[in-house]
Amino acid sequence: MPTIKIPTPLRTYTGGNAEIEVSGNTVAAILEDLVAQYPDLKQHLFHEGQLRDFVNVFIGEDDIRERDGINTAVQATDRLRIIPSIAGGTDEGILSQVDHSAIRTNQAAIITLLLFAFIVQLPLLVGFVSLTLFIGTMNERLNLFKLLYQSVLRPRGILKPDIKPDNPEPHRFSQGLGATFTALSTLFLIIKLSVIGWGLAWLVIVLAGLNLFTGFCAGCFVYYQLSKHNVRGFNKRPIRI
Amino acid sequence: MKLLLPNELYPNIVSHLCSTYPNEGGGFLVGKIHQDEQRVVEEIYPVENTFAEQEQFHRFLAESSAYQQIEDMADARGLTLLGYYHSHPNVAAVPSEYDRIHAWPFFAYLIVSIRNNQAVEERLWQLSQDRKSFIEGELLFI
Repeated sequence: MPTIKIPTPLRTYTGGNAEIEVSGNTVAAILEDLVAQYPDLKQHLFHEGQLRDFVNVFIGEDDIRERDGINTAVQATDRLRIIPSIAGGTDEGILSQVDHSAIRTNQAAIITLLLFAFIVQLPLLVGFVSLTLFIGTMNERLNLFKLLYQSVLRPRGILKPDIKPDNPEPHRFSQGLGATFTALSTLFLIIKLSVIGWGLAWLVIVLAGLNLFTGFCAGCFVYYQLSKHNVRGFNKRPIRI
Repeated sequence: MKLLLPNELYPNIVSHLCSTYPNEGGGFLVGKIHQDEQRVVEEIYPVENTFAEQEQFHRFLAESSAYQQIEDMADARGLTLLGYYHSHPNVAAVPSEYDRIHAWPFFAYLIVSIRNNQAVEERLWQLSQDRKSFIEGELLFI
């Protein structure tokens, strides 16, 4: 007869037995027999007649999902096992969160690189900042400056996370503005309209500095103004705690 | 349900959960159940969070293989897999609806609230028999 190993949290329903002899030619028949022997198991294994998705059944080393699911054939000598998925978490939608240390790293990097570009008169570096910001706006995980924070500064304890309930969208919008301003700056510098070009770069430096040192995010302010006037695509409202 | 947690083990739990912060972390509690139903934690086993990385700030998932290994080890040594601990980064140490749906009976659920890399609250929970709610247990440090 096949046997099935019961996980610790369900052994209270099998009189403390860890290994139960069961009969059946398929996993479905075996589970049916198991539940017939120990009816209290049912609500923990099944929901509306279906095997709960965090209940994993193995035959030997194989997850039945990789075979034929509950229709998988079972031999008399097979040893089955129920393995619970252990999962936890906090509820969705309560509040989104933003790590402000990552944002500050981004701003500090922007300021440093743009200042350096201005001092050594290197428009190409402004272009590099612009490209980095564009990529980061398109895909948060590819933001070079934030990667520096996530892969080096945070793991080494140089910077500590500063997680706050916040909407990430306005910050992303803000970064998009920074990308646009620096792109225009690069363009003007290339066509030798240096005053306008560096003026735009300095605007980004000042706004990033304002955010870094006072916490006022001008781009976020613009985002929330647009949101207030119900502009499409700007649907997040300021979070008040 | 009463869970006795040795004073020397708790800092290990906290340092593990701070190391995964701002993401969730978790691990297993292994020990013995005494005749008076009190549970005594003897060992802790941190496990890797295998949920999709971008969701780890509010989700935790342990691999089946990790569970299997720890349960086998506990069974072989006459110990009991008493439950598991996990962190709630930046929110209270109160089970969420997600926790309830995924919870198992019998297990002791130790939830630690972590804020700014520090444990600020720890509470113990057990799923009710009808799966509809959590009942708070008593966490005692020994």
